[in-house]
Amino acid sequence: MKLSEAWRLSKTCYREMVYRSLAEERGRMWWGAFGRNRQGKESQDDLELTNRALRIAKFDKAIVAFFNVVVSLAPFASLFLGSPGFGLTSAISLSLAVTFGFTALYAIQTLSSFMSPESSALMSTMPLNRDEFSLITLFSFIRSFDYMVIGSIISQVMLVAYLTASPVATLIMFAASTVNALFAVAVALWFSRIFQRNMLRGGRSKANTVLRLLFILMWGLLLVAVGFLFSIPWYIVPNLQSTLLSAAHLWNSLLGLLYPFSTGIVITALVSNVTFITLLVASAAMVGYAFLAVFAGKWSLGMVRAVSQGAGVNITRVTAKDFSVNPRGQLLGYVAKDLKVASRNPATAFFFALPVLETVIIILLDSNIGTLRTALVLSGTSLGAIFALLLPLALLSAEGKGLEYTKTLPISSRRIVVPKALVSTATYVPVPIALATLSLFKPLTSPSSLFIPFLIVLPVASASIFEIKLFLRTAAKGKIASVFNDVEKLTVGVVVILVPEVAYVVGFLATFNHAFSLLAMSAVAFAEFAVAFFVLRRS
Amino acid sequence: MQRKFGSGSEPLIEISALTKQFGSVQALSDVNLRVMPGEVYGLLGPNGAGKTTTIKTILGLLEPTSGWIKVVGLDPAKNPIEVKSKIGYVAENPIVYDSLSTRDFLEFVASIRKTDKASTNELVAQLASAFDMTQYFDSPIATLSLGMKQKVALIASLIHQPPVLLLDEPLNGLDAKSSRIVKELIGFHAEKGGAVLFSTHIMEVAQQVCTRIGIIYQGKVIAEGTLDELRSKTEGSGGTLEEVFLKLTHEESEVADTMRMLREAFFKNEAK
Repeated sequence: MKLSEAWRLSKTCYREMVYRSLAEERGRMWWGAFGRNRQGKESQDDLELTNRALRIAKFDKAIVAFFNVVVSLAPFASLFLGSPGFGLTSAISLSLAVTFGFTALYAIQTLSSFMSPESSALMSTMPLNRDEFSLITLFSFIRSFDYMVIGSIISQVMLVAYLTASPVATLIMFAASTVNALFAVAVALWFSRIFQRNMLRGGRSKANTVLRLLFILMWGLLLVAVGFLFSIPWYIVPNLQSTLLSAAHLWNSLLGLLYPFSTGIVITALVSNVTFITLLVASAAMVGYAFLAVFAGKWSLGMVRAVSQGAGVNITRVTAKDFSVNPRGQLLGYVAKDLKVASRNPATAFFFALPVLETVIIILLDSNIGTLRTALVLSGTSLGAIFALLLPLALLSAEGKGLEYTKTLPISSRRIVVPKALVSTATYVPVPIALATLSLFKPLTSPSSLFIPFLIVLPVASASIFEIKLFLRTAAKGKIASVFNDVEKLTVGVVVILVPEVAYVVGFLATFNHAFSLLAMSAVAFAEFAVAFFVLRRS
Repeated sequence: MQRKFGSGSEPLIEISALTKQFGSVQALSDVNLRVMPGEVYGLLGPNGAGKTTTIKTILGLLEPTSGWIKVVGLDPAKNPIEVKSKIGYVAENPIVYDSLSTRDFLEFVASIRKTDKASTNELVAQLASAFDMTQYFDSPIATLSLGMKQKVALIASLIHQPPVLLLDEPLNGLDAKSSRIVKELIGFHAEKGGAVLFSTHIMEVAQQVCTRIGIIYQGKVIAEGTLDELRSKTEGSGGTLEEVFLKLTHEESEVADTMRMLREAFFKNEAK
């Protein structure tokens, strides 16, 4: 089979993946699907929805690729701005690290549909041999993040070519960017496979639950690590460049062994002075990573081939020891179901890791500051609250077509909104606890500012309620939506979070009195909550 | 299954002059039917005739364009939650949460339906063992076959022992043993005074299970009665339900023409 033919056919598999991903996991169309089952009309709608899903996927891919290019270029920007202590080595290393994290994250979102045997079910009925089948599946897999990988490789290579004017450095950067993408894809594949295997194994084993939680945590830590690396140059290590290139201490040279730094050091060595020992360590590490990339590439190909042959994940059955079930009442039953559904989907599970992310970010923000200023408390709080606002969308997306079944149960829409708002608000709770703990070690400029993160619990709950209600309203229309529709709902949530904080700031600027500002903030937060409560009551 | 549903003379499902329109498409037109306690009513019709739309309207998932519905004396449009609590529903395509195991899913349904733990456990244990679910009870629903998913949906529909069962093609994908069990369960439910509205397009199933049959065609109930009553409405009395159905829907000659055409196409190459 010609490569062009395989590429053309892979569009069918890709379309199926996108359809599943958008329709089932992001759960848009099924909610409004009832009553649209008229013969003829249904198939027309399905075709329109599939095409729409494909257009949305293309649009989402372009947006994500654009964002990826921006974040991959951001570390280089500081070179032009003349940021002290920030050189080519750190720019290249951080650019690779951020692109790795971002590509892996995006690939995991897409892979949950790819890993299911159904994604290749259609192709498996066609008269194709195994190699052709694998090639088509591989291409359909590549299609899901092609813009993103190509975008970041081009941007990184072009910038390095411009900055170094060295063909060898440019070539090394091209190889490093490609290796980086390979690593990201391999990590995403591995992560999705572990998750899928864990989910499909079933059973009631506590070990499985612990393993799943561990992976969620690990995923959260991976995100934190990327964020951490990104913020190092500005907040933590202002002299990263000299640290990386200096051989004053052995451990400085050993930094060259770490994945993204080795590339940065080797490229820098081509245009400026680097100590021999550092260059040697980094070069050796780069060769090692190149071998590892070959292994990762082969493993990924094998994985893709296994998926294409329906052997991506083996299903093992666990014999039930009893048939007991434990009804918990509507609220607890719904919360338990939401937690199980969302935590078993790798595309949504990592949202549960956000509390860790929030807490770590707050600690990072604080690490170089002697006093906990109210401005820092306000910014840390809003950051945590905004992260918590991603959870309602994740919970609703994870619900997917299951919500259609829920509509046949005796449950009001209020009962659907409340558990999700509760879970979302609960993910925010580590933020005030982290800030309260920090205040034990660092003095506060105003003791009353400690109440701010606790008060923001109310706007987080209100914002969650508004978001979920808006989402359900869109869903009731039976539409599938692009990433912009999520942004629209998130914007409403962000405004609800920020208004009480703005009230605090305005109150303080008017009176220079923290107690009065807190009172103004409380009034606005309670007013918002009253409105949310009213909206909920009307459900 | 201890609960007795009653044996009154009031219908458990009553539909009067029901119409449902989707844009310019008339999905249901002046549908009237009653299902009494102890009755298994078969809604029989070809694909797209309006069976599923009728069931979803009874359940309150769709609002009627005109006409009214009563389920156990309640209007689904005005009392949607009360009506849903009186109904056990199996959808044409079993819609369940794929990532949940059977146990998790039944726990969720039992929680939402606020069932009593002891009676739920007793019922679930009986049904799960009857359906040979030992190997599948803790497996994610995503890994189950269509038949197994159908069994999960059936157990979920019975978990609260409802007086009314709405079963939309409930035997889809079931093996012979499970089909037999489901048919018997439907019989038990009717014996206890419950009502069953059973939608199917398979004539043999309707013939075996239903006490009364309504034939729905292009959104209209064109005939209703026991099998004998339906036979008497057609000239060829004594025929199977399939023959009666084709006569009532005037599809008999159309089917004959189609078969003649297909036969010619099928054997065309052989003749050459």
